[in-house]
Amino acid sequence: MSEYAAAGVAIAAVGAALLAGVYFVAVFDRLIGALVEGRPLQWSRLLAEPVQSSALMAVQQRRTTERPDAPAWALAPALFAGLAAVALAMVPLDRDLVATDPATGFVVFSAAIAMVMIAVYLHGWSPNSAFALHGAYRYGAQALSFQIPFLLAMLATVLPAESLSIVEIVNAQESLWNVVRQPAGLPLYLVVGVAVSFWGPLNLPDGSDLAGGTSVEDSGLSRLLWKAARAAMLVSVAAMGAAAFLGGWWGPWLAGPVWVVLKTVALLGVLLASGHLLARVRIEQFVLVSWVVLIPLALLNVFVSGAFLL
Amino acid sequence: MNDLLADAIFWAFAAGSVTTGLRVFRTDSMMRAAFYLLASFAGVGGILVLLGAEFLGMVLILMMAGEMLIMAIVMVMFMMNPAGLNPMWMVHQHRVAVAAGAGSFVLLASLPFLVKFPDRPAPQPEEATAELGTELLGDSMLVFQTAGVALLSTMIGAVVIANRSGRFGVAEEGSQEPTVEPGAGDQR
Repeated sequence: MSEYAAAGVAIAAVGAALLAGVYFVAVFDRLIGALVEGRPLQWSRLLAEPVQSSALMAVQQRRTTERPDAPAWALAPALFAGLAAVALAMVPLDRDLVATDPATGFVVFSAAIAMVMIAVYLHGWSPNSAFALHGAYRYGAQALSFQIPFLLAMLATVLPAESLSIVEIVNAQESLWNVVRQPAGLPLYLVVGVAVSFWGPLNLPDGSDLAGGTSVEDSGLSRLLWKAARAAMLVSVAAMGAAAFLGGWWGPWLAGPVWVVLKTVALLGVLLASGHLLARVRIEQFVLVSWVVLIPLALLNVFVSGAFLL
Repeated sequence: MNDLLADAIFWAFAAGSVTTGLRVFRTDSMMRAAFYLLASFAGVGGILVLLGAEFLGMVLILMMAGEMLIMAIVMVMFMMNPAGLNPMWMVHQHRVAVAAGAGSFVLLASLPFLVKFPDRPAPQPEEATAELGTELLGDSMLVFQTAGVALLSTMIGAVVIANRSGRFGVAEEGSQEPTVEPGAGDQR
């Protein structure tokens, strides 16, 4: 297979994985909601509802606001979904089965996460609407606060691998997973993961207390795209968590890719359950905890992990 | 990757960077200006990756995302322009700015034609990122650590000055909340 055909297959595979992931998140979220609330499970409805509501949103009429920045408004969901795809492309399914493995995979993934704040800010700023703008500023504060603990939590996984390549990071966990080696890493990463895709308790920019925040003016297809992009980002964050902390493809009996999927689903379960079990926190509280607790904890995590390797 | 494709990608990034860089000064909104500048930097990051400086290119994009957002928010705060939604002129001293911009562009763009570059291709480093790390924490450590400490103390100084209980007493002493009633501000 030529170089170009291989690249095309890899891009198509990442796109297909994201689409499947978005549908899975929609179903899994409803399933967890029903379990938490003790409602009886209606499988056919559970499986069909995401498709039905997507179809409805796709054909609904689209509203617009007075003097919006239309290109930026259209760009925001596409940028967000594209960043989720970039992040997911870095996650290896097996030692030789990865969309792309640049020597600086960790930095590429971090850059994608950092650009999310631009996508969300643009999305809230462009409709020229008060609540949407409030949401955008909230995410600005939220993103600038979680960025440092996120980078530090991920950086600690780079130390045992002595490489910025994600494949090497997974490879270095053959004998001991990072979740054991760096006990503070995964909890930190999960808190930040919920914040990145602003889900559940950290859904501050799109919260219902702002009548929908940055997506208050969205309608029809653009609402569908924004929701899908958020779910896609959650999938990418969970998949990277499985690779960086839960040993990726390493595991007994089953094949490597199966383990990656199972671990991703497990982390998705934790991330989604947070939305049904925890109350939403206030932005001031989150910013305070980020700077006063999470950053020192993440620094400590890096120092301790580094000291063990000396 | 063959040369033709590499050239095409380079020119796409270069054209994108110059166009968005120009748009920074042609737009009428601080927010758009900040995001055009980000797009321009992202293009430069892409060119750096193309040149083999993978780490520097990606770190440029990573850092610029946060930086541009902070810059945009701080600009909006200082310019008293709610949310940067009101249109405003992005250039001061228009003629001087255009002359200075065009002059420095011509000067910098003419350098490749005026300077005689050495004609011996450098070998592509095997581990460019590792070599960069060795350089940062090896021979050049003193330089980078000095710059790092200087930047850190600048940040601490800025926080101290901007603090509510700052150097010159409580920050809002003597200030009044702006009023929404027309004309009421004149009587103060």
